[in-house]
Amino acid sequence: MRLFLQYAVSGIATGCAFALVATGFVAIYRVTRVVNFAQGVFAVVAGMLAATLLGSGVPHVIAEALAVSTAALVGLIVGFVAIGRPGTSPLASLIITLGLGIGSYAVLILIWGDQPISFEGLKGNLDVGGVTLQVQYILVVVLTAVAFVALSLFFNRTYLGRGLTACSSNPRAARLVGINVTRMGLVAFTLGGGLGGLAGVLLTPMQPVAFNSDVGIAISGFAAAIFGGLLRPGAAFIGGLVLGVAEALVAGYGQASLQSGVALVIMLGIMVWQASRRTATSDEDAA
Amino acid sequence: MRLARPSILAVVVILLLPVLLPNALLTISIFIGLSTIVVSGLSLLMGFAGQVSLGQAAFYAIGAYTAGLLARDAGLPPVLGLLAAPVVTAAIAYVVGLPLLRLRGHYLAFGTLAFQLITLSLIGEFKDITGGDTGLTAIPPLGIGPLIVEGPFKPIVFGYLAWGLALLTLLFNQHLVQSRPGRALRALATSEAAALAAGVPVGRYKLQVFSLSAAYAGLAGGVYAFYVSYIAPGSFPLVRSIEFLIMATVGGLGSVWGSAVGATVVFLVVQVLQNLGTLPGMPVRAPAVFAYAVYGLILVSIMLLLPHGIVPALRARIARRGT
Repeated sequence: MRLFLQYAVSGIATGCAFALVATGFVAIYRVTRVVNFAQGVFAVVAGMLAATLLGSGVPHVIAEALAVSTAALVGLIVGFVAIGRPGTSPLASLIITLGLGIGSYAVLILIWGDQPISFEGLKGNLDVGGVTLQVQYILVVVLTAVAFVALSLFFNRTYLGRGLTACSSNPRAARLVGINVTRMGLVAFTLGGGLGGLAGVLLTPMQPVAFNSDVGIAISGFAAAIFGGLLRPGAAFIGGLVLGVAEALVAGYGQASLQSGVALVIMLGIMVWQASRRTATSDEDAA
Repeated sequence: MRLARPSILAVVVILLLPVLLPNALLTISIFIGLSTIVVSGLSLLMGFAGQVSLGQAAFYAIGAYTAGLLARDAGLPPVLGLLAAPVVTAAIAYVVGLPLLRLRGHYLAFGTLAFQLITLSLIGEFKDITGGDTGLTAIPPLGIGPLIVEGPFKPIVFGYLAWGLALLTLLFNQHLVQSRPGRALRALATSEAAALAAGVPVGRYKLQVFSLSAAYAGLAGGVYAFYVSYIAPGSFPLVRSIEFLIMATVGGLGSVWGSAVGATVVFLVVQVLQNLGTLPGMPVRAPAVFAYAVYGLILVSIMLLLPHGIVPALRARIARRGT
């Protein structure tokens, strides 16, 4: 039982990072109907940049904040290329984000090389009822919770957030009342970049990132995001936790090499199950 | 005659090239021919059935392993192994496609991506059969009876084989596109609901094109296995799938002859940059950086500037000038 709790806790921590990546997918998809293949890149950029900044003496918090802001900026750039040109179809945008993702490898290798990078998070353990909790895990969970509360306040209480929600529920009506839908799309990409960056900063101390770690991160995030059909951040959050815990349990009780397969199998299962309940017509209406 | 001119030209080029090219270039042309076969299937799938596949290299791998294992371990004549490669690959694609093709658009893209990753890890996992991550070594040479393709003539034979098969697949695609199923496929790419209403068996056609594209990839994989005689999971990385996708978009999705153009252009550009990157004085990581940068640049600029690909854009320009 103690072992089980141990696995569950570490799973929840990585699950939180997945949930943040997933929310980035959702934030972008809701507003632009684009699935951003470069979502994992944001996490990699932020993780690596934070490691470099910390290595050159920038104190914690400032280094991480800079890294997350940079990821948000990268998100803005990706968004600008992907949706900046009017008339780009969502499928073309998907291929563009794929191209940006693979093109980013060149930049990442130039700056950071091709070896995995990590940095030290918070040190120390807490003992709660016989279960050892790493302080870093607690930090991850707390920060993710804060991010989600802030996000829900942003979407429901602020003018900008309501504009984003309006674009996602009915783009044409949003344009009619004077909302610039493309600009809102760019805001969504920036937000998605920041969320991915936060995930990367939290994830890197737990598992080192390399230039091509983005595929695994993006797949886990996407698998979590489709729990809510790519539209509901709350469901994506739960999806991230389920996925994180499932991976940790498989790695703990089964074989570590099977761990990465969990996200793939869960993702395929959910997608096929969801698709079997949709018809061609409802799909095209949504697109 | 739209069909005759390019195909006659192609036949002449294919007959001459393997004899004229020096060996290093011949090897490159063989790989381009194999890529053309894979890309022609992907282009059909994307351009005519409107479905994105990010797992085409997995079918390439399945074809290569089928041919290699049948010829090496099952003791079958290599030619039978080569013939079995597309059949087995298509059968696997059919079974996998049953659930997978319920997905559309970005869901299918992620689904095929997952398929590729799962395939690679399965190949790595079943060490006893596949040799695991170290790969499958000593694949016997291709041959019929006492005639074995080895020695100095090997590249020439494979040149004819690769480009002959490429021409066959392109001619078959040309025929398919102009036939009744081809029109139905174009309809379902535009709107599945409308195609369904017009009596097109949408699900069956999608599955058949998916299997056909997999069969092409499997066939090319089989030839590849006999040509290089050593395969490993590392020969079929995710980047290879993306490379096929890039070639298809460059040539123009749904453009039959564009597949050959796309494969040639992308392969040569990447090859030239690889050679530049390995020049003395270049940093160690230059080849990788060049390759990734080029992939990214090509994909993004093609999608933004020439979303229909190079060949259809050229054709449109020539048509405009002609009138």
